[in-house]
Amino acid sequence: MEVLFPRTLEELKELFVTYPDGRIIAGGTDLLVQLRKHGNKPSALFSVEHLEQLQHVEEKETEIFIGAGVTHQQLWELPIIKNYFPVLHDAVAVLGSPPIRHSGTLGGNLCTASPAGDTLPPLYVLGAKIAISGKTGKRCVPIAEFIQGPGCTMLEQGEFVTGIQIPLPAPQAFSAYYKVGKRKALAIAIASLAVMLEVNPDETVKNIKLAWGSVGPTVMVLPEVEAFLKGKVLSDEILSQAGKMASLGVKPIDDIRASAEYRQCLTANLLLRICRD
Amino acid sequence: MCQSSRPLTSAPSVIGQSAPRADALTKVTGEERYATDYYPENHLWAGIKRAAYPHARITSIDISQAKGMVGVVAVLTSKDVQGSNRLGIFEKDQPILADGIVRHYGEAVALVTAETKEILKQALAAIVVEYEPLAAVFDPQAAMSKESVILHPGRADGNVLLSDEISCGRGVEALADCEFTAEVSIEVNWQDHAFLETEAGVAWLEADGTIAMIASTQTPFRDRLELAEALKIPPTKFRVMAPYLGGAFGGKDGITVQGFLALAALHAGGRAVKMWYEREEHFLAGTKRHPAIMKYKLGCDQQGMLQALDCSILMDTGAYSAMGGEVLELAMEHAGGPYCIPNTRIKGAVVYTNNPIASAFRGFGVPQVAAGIEQAVDELAKTAGFDLLQFRLKNAVRRGSVTPTGVLLTQTVGLSECLKKVADHRLWRERELWQNSAPAFKRRGVGLAACYHAVGFGPVIPDYANAKLELAADGHIRVFAGVSDMGQGNAATYMQIVGHILFQGYDNMEIVLPDTACTLPSCSSSASRTTFTYGNAITGAADILKERILARALLLFSFQLLEQLNVQDLVLLPGRIVHQPSGREVPLQLIAGFMDESERIATYSYTCPVNKQVLPTGKKLRHHGYPHRVFSYAVQLVRLQVDTLTGEIEVCDLLNCIEAGSVLNPQVFEQQIQGGAAQGIGYALFEDFALKEGKIRTNDFSTYILPTAMDIPNMETVVVPLAEDDGPYGMKGAGEISIDGILSAIANGVAAIIGTRITQGTLTGEKILLALRQAGKEAVR
Repeated sequence: MEVLFPRTLEELKELFVTYPDGRIIAGGTDLLVQLRKHGNKPSALFSVEHLEQLQHVEEKETEIFIGAGVTHQQLWELPIIKNYFPVLHDAVAVLGSPPIRHSGTLGGNLCTASPAGDTLPPLYVLGAKIAISGKTGKRCVPIAEFIQGPGCTMLEQGEFVTGIQIPLPAPQAFSAYYKVGKRKALAIAIASLAVMLEVNPDETVKNIKLAWGSVGPTVMVLPEVEAFLKGKVLSDEILSQAGKMASLGVKPIDDIRASAEYRQCLTANLLLRICRD
Repeated sequence: MCQSSRPLTSAPSVIGQSAPRADALTKVTGEERYATDYYPENHLWAGIKRAAYPHARITSIDISQAKGMVGVVAVLTSKDVQGSNRLGIFEKDQPILADGIVRHYGEAVALVTAETKEILKQALAAIVVEYEPLAAVFDPQAAMSKESVILHPGRADGNVLLSDEISCGRGVEALADCEFTAEVSIEVNWQDHAFLETEAGVAWLEADGTIAMIASTQTPFRDRLELAEALKIPPTKFRVMAPYLGGAFGGKDGITVQGFLALAALHAGGRAVKMWYEREEHFLAGTKRHPAIMKYKLGCDQQGMLQALDCSILMDTGAYSAMGGEVLELAMEHAGGPYCIPNTRIKGAVVYTNNPIASAFRGFGVPQVAAGIEQAVDELAKTAGFDLLQFRLKNAVRRGSVTPTGVLLTQTVGLSECLKKVADHRLWRERELWQNSAPAFKRRGVGLAACYHAVGFGPVIPDYANAKLELAADGHIRVFAGVSDMGQGNAATYMQIVGHILFQGYDNMEIVLPDTACTLPSCSSSASRTTFTYGNAITGAADILKERILARALLLFSFQLLEQLNVQDLVLLPGRIVHQPSGREVPLQLIAGFMDESERIATYSYTCPVNKQVLPTGKKLRHHGYPHRVFSYAVQLVRLQVDTLTGEIEVCDLLNCIEAGSVLNPQVFEQQIQGGAAQGIGYALFEDFALKEGKIRTNDFSTYILPTAMDIPNMETVVVPLAEDDGPYGMKGAGEISIDGILSAIANGVAAIIGTRITQGTLTGEKILLALRQAGKEAVR
């Protein structure tokens, strides 16, 4: 297995022609574990660490563009993430451990497409779009379209993610990420919830976006729960009712970390965190 | 083998002084070489083909393809083992390579040596083993039934490795007279040692036929004897060297890779062989802590004095006995806790199943039974309406008391002092404030446990150490350590003791780690006896060497001053000896030059005194250690916070109040205590070991969850330093006591918060949320 270091996106595209089964390695925090475990090694890995085009963060008037190769640590340190995207800031703060955050990237977390990926629920509630490049050109698709199943994205052979576009949230919006893992660090989410909330002056919900991680094959979005909450004043009682709806809407599984039943409870209960905050 | 320690200080160490360990710097910088760090020139890699069934008869092993592969040096099976092919201490029941039957998943079937790891992997895959699966038993209760498949046919008691009963006073009938009684049934889980350095070593055949090996082992001297029998090679034809271990906790108490290494070296044409388990292989093949099923019934009178205990303990030792009998003994001996209970019946059994092998693990049965008795004590105190701490104090053993297993405590007992210190501590006094200050959706509580832990091997197996100390020709002091240092810091403590007696700085001392060729036979690094026993031996050797040095210096001064001198006028100082009245000095190096080798080397043999009490009960346990003589004591307190939305639990504060005799080096002592307590937190809350029909589901570090630094609270360690006559400088063993009470303290705290007990296995968030739900406390703000 060769490890190659393209310097430009053009070079990267050409590598995909030479090595059709080649795979991109960004931080390697997921890929190297998978390769060791499953052993199906591709003929080449394309490291993107020298691809400057993937490393930048661009702040525009109404949106932000984050290069796919930006690490979680870099994101966590950016003032704009802390000030405008608390939900994403929360998520990268509890993702993995310091070494993982220093090498793992946003693009990598996205392309791993795990329902437990910590940055995914925040990207759903933020309405992120994924910028894709490949031999046939470029396209930009909403995250919910991009992610197609557990470990499965819409990327075709030779295509890769160049970055993530996120619209700036409304100035008064509240957002947060709640995660339950088996320990406080280095934990894969058993269940998680990303929230984006705008309230009217009379405290009724103007707009709410919710996305749950680890309780279905992909990040779960439940429009009926959002619709139920819209126009209501959030209280423990209302959120409990929403929780009951949510726990019926998610599709969790039993695995080594938790039972489906526990995940259903968490799906509901994590909503109550919103009121505490 | 000398190691490279560069102590942080050259100042002479003094007993009682807090100082960084002599091995700290070289470990932190990576200079220190562990067994895994040895890559002999031109070495081969050795690896194991492992069983794919929990219980099966091997019908054929086809090694032809593997053997023919380029780069494969040897493919060995049990046919290549000349000796008994059986390992074990009391019960020699475990083959090095399976001969006919495999009894657990991952049992070793064949051994391969190859030029590279890649070829090794391919060769292992190319070995074809055919099996006839046998009925298997995974439940220890089912293993005891008459219908069960038998793992080791020919044994008198079927699958029961050892069972016995201890009864004292009037036994169970006294329960009927008790004013108050409480019952608990507790099942505790397996635990993996999860040391950083997985099982590893290198070995080679020397020209004279000696099999030399550098291995990560707690038992270099005993390994020789075990290997000798299994391979039918004289024990003197083995040389075992044990560098510092990257953790062991009991998991390297006995043979891990040594049998494979020796066998591989015999078939390697004189080349060295190296073995190093990957993490998954460690989980598959390594030993674990025994799970236990316990039933407790405890009673007290109206005044709150404990009167009667009836309990039963069933442990699962897996496919082979390993230390199963000894773990059961220690569990039973400690089953009643450190309390005066005059009437008891303690039934215990340890059984074979087709599960992974359980053996020694820090605590050695005591954390299991502490989880039983301490939860029973809490329940009884609550039922009878007594304060949880005062109730323990009222019943605490003292020096001269008799334990619930009839053992007369002749040595120091500091439990009452520990309880009083905790009673006065802010974390206990402010417990109500803590409970009442929980934030939204949180519940807070405090949990308490008291425990004790025996030091040493008991009355039958001699607990000995042979120390050796050398004044080298160049004047520096060489300390020979006969017992492995698996990370607890005993090697550094030997240097501290020698430095104290000879008043020499670390810059004038070096340590020689265990090597059967030059250190002297000593028992294992285990049983909270390592520094206790070897410390006594090294103290003796240092006293002898000091006397010799001064005697020889006296001759020299007498010649210089031309008069009769008195040895009391001489003082040993770093690197020199001073004659105080005249102020004259001679360098230590000069004295060394005046001594021949037989004088420069001092040795001292020490065997621990034992409990001579003849007990009318638990006769079968005597060989396994019952009764002990010296015990360390602890009271542990945790402050907990539970999340009512998720069941997540946080240990917010932890107090260890420890009586383990005098403390030689407070810093090293505190590290030991904290390490054990952290491991206890893992055992209680995180390490949710999962088996399915004998197969480990949590077989790597992404599924076997160890606590991280984020999950361990700040800890406070309070010492009750009673001086123990048996111990060097008054110390007692401190290696295990701090893990013993953590699970029970946490379980008691959780029960206080929820109002009900979680009685099965690891206290995960999922179980806690379910318990909160059943108690109507889920999502309560």
